[in-house]
Amino acid sequence: MLTEALQRYFGYTTFRPGQQAVIEAVLRGEDVVAVLPTGTGKSLCYQLPTKLLPHATLIVSPLLSLMQDQVEQLKKMGERRVIALNSFLNRAQKQHVLATLSQYEFIFTSPEMLQQPDVRAVLQTLPLSLIVVDEAHCLSQWGFDFRPDYLQIADVFQQHGRPGILALSATATQQVLADIKHYLRLNEPFELIQSVDRPNIRLMRERFTTQEEKLQWAFSYIEAAKGAGILYTQSRKKCEHYAQQLLARHVRVAYYHAGMDMYDRQLIQQQFIAGELDWIVATNAFGMGVHKDNIRHVLHDVFPATVANYMQEIGRAGRDGEPAIAVLLYAQGDEQLVTYVATEDIPNDVQVDLYTQQVDPYDIVRHGAASDTQFRVLHYWLQQKNAQQVKHLLGELRLEKRKQIEAMQQIVSTAACLRQLVVNAFGQVVEEKPTECCINCGATYELHVVMDKKAPLAMDVNWQMRLHALFPL
Amino acid sequence: MKFKQLLLYLLQSFREERTVSAPYHLLKGKRSGQTIQDVGLFSLYAYFGILPKLARTRFDEAIDELVQEGRLTVYEDGYYMVHQTINEAPPYYDGWHYRGHEHVFFARLSLAVQTLSQQQAGDLRFVPLQKDEAVQQYVRDFLRWAHYETGTIGRVLKEELMLVCSELSEQQAQRLLLRLSGAHVTGYSWAQLALFYDETQLDTQLSFVSVLHTVLAHIERLNVPLLQALTQHIKVDTVVTHSALQTAQLYNEGHTLEQIAQLRRLKISTIEDHIVEMAMSDATFSLAPFVNEQDVANVQMLVEQLQTRKLKPLKEHLPHMSYFQLRLILAKGGRSSC
Ligand SMILES: [Zn+2]
Repeated sequence: MLTEALQRYFGYTTFRPGQQAVIEAVLRGEDVVAVLPTGTGKSLCYQLPTKLLPHATLIVSPLLSLMQDQVEQLKKMGERRVIALNSFLNRAQKQHVLATLSQYEFIFTSPEMLQQPDVRAVLQTLPLSLIVVDEAHCLSQWGFDFRPDYLQIADVFQQHGRPGILALSATATQQVLADIKHYLRLNEPFELIQSVDRPNIRLMRERFTTQEEKLQWAFSYIEAAKGAGILYTQSRKKCEHYAQQLLARHVRVAYYHAGMDMYDRQLIQQQFIAGELDWIVATNAFGMGVHKDNIRHVLHDVFPATVANYMQEIGRAGRDGEPAIAVLLYAQGDEQLVTYVATEDIPNDVQVDLYTQQVDPYDIVRHGAASDTQFRVLHYWLQQKNAQQVKHLLGELRLEKRKQIEAMQQIVSTAACLRQLVVNAFGQVVEEKPTECCINCGATYELHVVMDKKAPLAMDVNWQMRLHALFPL
Repeated sequence: MKFKQLLLYLLQSFREERTVSAPYHLLKGKRSGQTIQDVGLFSLYAYFGILPKLARTRFDEAIDELVQEGRLTVYEDGYYMVHQTINEAPPYYDGWHYRGHEHVFFARLSLAVQTLSQQQAGDLRFVPLQKDEAVQQYVRDFLRWAHYETGTIGRVLKEELMLVCSELSEQQAQRLLLRLSGAHVTGYSWAQLALFYDETQLDTQLSFVSVLHTVLAHIERLNVPLLQALTQHIKVDTVVTHSALQTAQLYNEGHTLEQIAQLRRLKISTIEDHIVEMAMSDATFSLAPFVNEQDVANVQMLVEQLQTRKLKPLKEHLPHMSYFQLRLILAKGGRSSC
């Protein structure tokens, strides 16, 4: 029955592991916590039930880009009754959306929007079949992306007679799970916890004394590599610089970062998906919405600040299930750089005092005593807590970031199995090690790649030819 | 024309009568009385607001380079002297009429092209590369209006583009096409185009604005109904500032300047600024209520004689005229024909 619906609405013939059990529980109206690694069809767990249940589904999503991507994917599948109720809408658009909300099957929104009285009022009268909380680990202080505004989601809906809640999370540590159940007030939820492990990705690591050696290794690797890959780096400048060096080595490469026009970013992404580019040098802005299954390599120029980010970024490789390689690069001193970048936005105690002493707190930004981001953090917390509490909280936050970085440093320095270490960080264990496991288990760089190169139309063809390629008829 | 060349050309056009920042405000399309009046005074309509996102640091860098290359001297008070005469005129721009909206036109065009190219390829499951909701809505309406379901308008759009492109230079047409994407062709980023043409990204973007302005001018003239439908509200022909618009309304209702000043609780000089803006923006604006024909002729002759558009020397020769009257005549007289 369910497989029939799957075929009818989505054109698939089988479920991926875990999907069916979650969907069945959702259809029974139960609360559900599902931990599924990214790229394993998380969204289907609410998309299919929505088609089968009588009323709409509300999806609360913390990231605008994630929301936009999910909306686009649904529209691409021909789903028209999709709406995103987010801060991109102006006043008039928002009023219009609210007035016509009952027409939609999929309603995406952000935790911030849920706090607005007019949005709440409409949602409380709207018949819903299901509430989805995406990236639910964001509501745990123990999670890597704690979002305080997530804590209030449960307040929007009455405990009695509310529809089932499906909480989707990428982490399954006991603390995170306990927080999710507690703050969402879940009612004896059905739990499905799938391994975050991606056995087809080999976890490699290379250590160097100098930055120069590290880069030379990376460039040589990329030059010789077969199949598509991503080189992640930290700054926009480095993206551009590395791409330039690789272009000089005749690699089909482009850079990608958030400083580019939206349209430019889309073009580069499209070229990569179409197989016209082999490599992307990117900041962590790249990845969301890149639906390319045959990425074979992910390199990290500098290690990410959290294990979660590391997993998410390497998880973009090998979506097709074929072997892929992730290489974590390290040169002496990288940890200082990572720590600096990860903690620079957290205000210090002096800044907390400065904020409270000013008549116009924004003066601390005007006088150069704090960055805009630091100001926003201060502003948010000092509305709800006193200075002493905020200092304590920021201290904890710094500590948490350092702990995350230390966990990554361990992966950088360990002589033990990388896979076990990474998977343990998510509160899970490796069930069975693949043959090609990690650098410390003797995995190799040998990869048999079926090439998927597409030569784009040459740039210097005349305009008539390019126009004809766009419109062959 | 490269960015630095254009800067020198503009500095030259300001006749060293403004500070070195004047081209920056002009290119950004700053909506201040000074910049807008300068557009009229120095006849710089074409370049107003052609780089709305230009960063000050990028501008300063270019100025520094020009100084180092010995093509420009900047004095401590911000005034300058140009050492190299630029005789080559910049390519076609019509900044005054488009003010950055040309990029909205391009966004619509590119989405229409992507959609219709996908339709010809028989695959309508695609992710639009243009993310702006207003653009997507516009193109949806456009496609419905054009009876997209018949499956033939891709062919018509192709013919219209062919017609417009054959009016452009080979390279201009190539630049336009290289930014467009479809089912089996992907457009190129600014960085990729800059590498291809061996120029800076800013130069690439600057050329592209000229291409778009040229394309828009041809669309207006040629029989290309689909392309014309994509240009709605792209061209502006109103006064610039919101405040000036309110003044214009009262003025057109027949109020005197004094009455408007009183009604709006503004200084009379501010209202005069607005009137000057109106004179510049509205081709049909009549100077008759403010100056007589003889005065206009006198001022124009004097500008030729003295080779200046500075108010002070003009006023010395025509003491019976007010600064307001002089500015009005200069604003109207400096209007470019296009
Ligand atoms: Zn291992």
